[in-house]
Amino acid sequence: MAEEILSPPLQQQVAGLGTADIVVGIPSYNNARTIGHVVRAAHAGLIKHFADRRAVIVNSDGGSKDDTRQIVEQANVDSHELLLVSHPLNPIHRLTTPYHGVPGKGSAFRTIFRVAELVGAKACVVVDSDLRSITPDWFELLLWPILEREFDYVAPYYKRHKYDGTITNSIVYPLTRALYGRRVRQPIGGDFGLSGRLVQYLLTKDVWTTDVARYGIDIWMTTTAIAEGFKVCQAYLGAKIHDAKDPGADLSAMLVQVVGSVLDLMETHYDVWSKVTSSEAAPLFGFPFDVGLEPVPINLARMIGAFTQGCRDLRPIYEQILSAATLEELSQAAGLPADRFTIRDETWVTLIYEIALAHRRRAINREHLLKSLTPLYLGWVASFARQTEPENAAQVEERIEKLCLVYEQLKPSLTRHWAAEKR
Amino acid sequence: MGTFWEQTVVQPLRDLGQQAVASLSSLLGMVILILLGLGIGWLAKVVVARALRALHFDRVCERLGVGFELERLGVARSCSYLAGQFVQGVIVLIAMLAGLNAMRSQWTQNLVERFFLFLPHLLAALVILVVGALVSRFLGRSVLIAAVNKGVPAARLLAGGTRFFIMTLAAVAALDELGIGRTTIIVTFAILFGGLVTAVAIAFGLGARDLARDLLQSQFKPAKKAESDDPIHHL
Repeated sequence: MAEEILSPPLQQQVAGLGTADIVVGIPSYNNARTIGHVVRAAHAGLIKHFADRRAVIVNSDGGSKDDTRQIVEQANVDSHELLLVSHPLNPIHRLTTPYHGVPGKGSAFRTIFRVAELVGAKACVVVDSDLRSITPDWFELLLWPILEREFDYVAPYYKRHKYDGTITNSIVYPLTRALYGRRVRQPIGGDFGLSGRLVQYLLTKDVWTTDVARYGIDIWMTTTAIAEGFKVCQAYLGAKIHDAKDPGADLSAMLVQVVGSVLDLMETHYDVWSKVTSSEAAPLFGFPFDVGLEPVPINLARMIGAFTQGCRDLRPIYEQILSAATLEELSQAAGLPADRFTIRDETWVTLIYEIALAHRRRAINREHLLKSLTPLYLGWVASFARQTEPENAAQVEERIEKLCLVYEQLKPSLTRHWAAEKR
Repeated sequence: MGTFWEQTVVQPLRDLGQQAVASLSSLLGMVILILLGLGIGWLAKVVVARALRALHFDRVCERLGVGFELERLGVARSCSYLAGQFVQGVIVLIAMLAGLNAMRSQWTQNLVERFFLFLPHLLAALVILVVGALVSRFLGRSVLIAAVNKGVPAARLLAGGTRFFIMTLAAVAALDELGIGRTTIIVTFAILFGGLVTAVAIAFGLGARDLARDLLQSQFKPAKKAESDDPIHHL
């Protein structure tokens, strides 16, 4: 019998709820500033769009030191104050609980999914608790394709500034698309809708106590949904504005966690991705309206400096993981003046594929491998930012599309080398 | 006359002959043992190298960075081959010691005895050096990557210093294990290390007073919200 992850009091609470059609999950950790807004948006969204459905809002908290949990319990969700036209036929219950297991978003999701399973939810939506731009309509957009169109997984589609989400734009999205053949623009968006069927399937997987649960739950869910043949679509949510980001968040740690998770998943799903030769769009629901985005200042000189230093000081490491041709291309780029600084798409994609192969054969310690990617990544961002400086959002999107095509064109070489490594 | 002849000439010659025969048989034994050692050593080298290759030992060494270090040192042989050679060397050495022992002289027997008493220390010192080399390489690389990612200009110097420090520690520990100049080495190391730390402290205090103040402030004073020079959301 599988280990029960819910505490006995929580099990009793859940049993007291009976059944529900929808579970809204909000993982949190020290989000007192924003979680009240997220809970109110969820409540309003459920009343406005799903008034005839039974719903539960679950806050799964990682042991916040601030008032996050109290704010969830006390969030003012009086429907009259929210000026809603509809009124709920059923009360919307709220649960707030500390999760158990390894620290991280994965354990929070596991608790939410288990509650969804116990109440027999047809759909479950999870949203970040640090969102400032969330609106009640997000819940309709993330739930409707599941409840009315039988999709299993709804990924978010945000309007973002051209320099925002650069790991997503340069590695995670193009690589996931080339590998698994489905164009999901924000595979690590953080806000997702899942069918009850998919929730139950994910709960059976043996990842909840691993690093996947700690660091890579978003990409794991997206990849699993695509690779295991679940029906996947996207929902246009508009802008995504977070609470101010943690200035201490370390870029190299981010790369280790996110890119490491993508590369780990490549090993798990080799049999799937090795057969994929092209990609197709995932259906997009919602109305893609334009939103005003705050400009993102970018320090090109600092990034190019980091790249140049990396090429010089980390060369002995790169010699162990990159081909001579790629190293030569990088050296040439490092020698360019800032106003002509360019890393070609082909060079970048080859570099990422060579990193994937080095990760596969454990050429060096994996954390070292991924951390040593930081200066190269900054170089790519600088090159991308310089080249797209005069371009608008649509042109930049075309530019990313071109990069994705290069990923797809060079994939046969990756597959071939990967197979050779396997032998 | 006959007895005299027998005692002064024949007996010494007979003794000499017996000694020569005994020495020759010891010598022959030694040669046979050494030849046997050479043969078995060669066979062991081939078997060990092939077995390790089949077990992907070279790949493990690549991951540990040993292969790369050997390549950098100009050793154009695989780790499996070198391990085979090591085993061959040990077998030949043992055969030579056994051969020396076969000479049955006090001197060779003392030598062999001393060697075997020394062997555990030698192996321990070797292990200390190998582990030290691996740790210094790993930590040196960690420091290098972290320093480059933080934009520290002297990243290579820091990494080299880390490697040097750990290798020095390992070398001191290994020499101590071998009992070579124990006191001298420890005193020299303590003086050098103490001097180095003092020099760095003085240099830091004089040359980087502001940096020191900032570092201490960041540790003990609640920081104002740090301004990131990179406001991008990477994810």
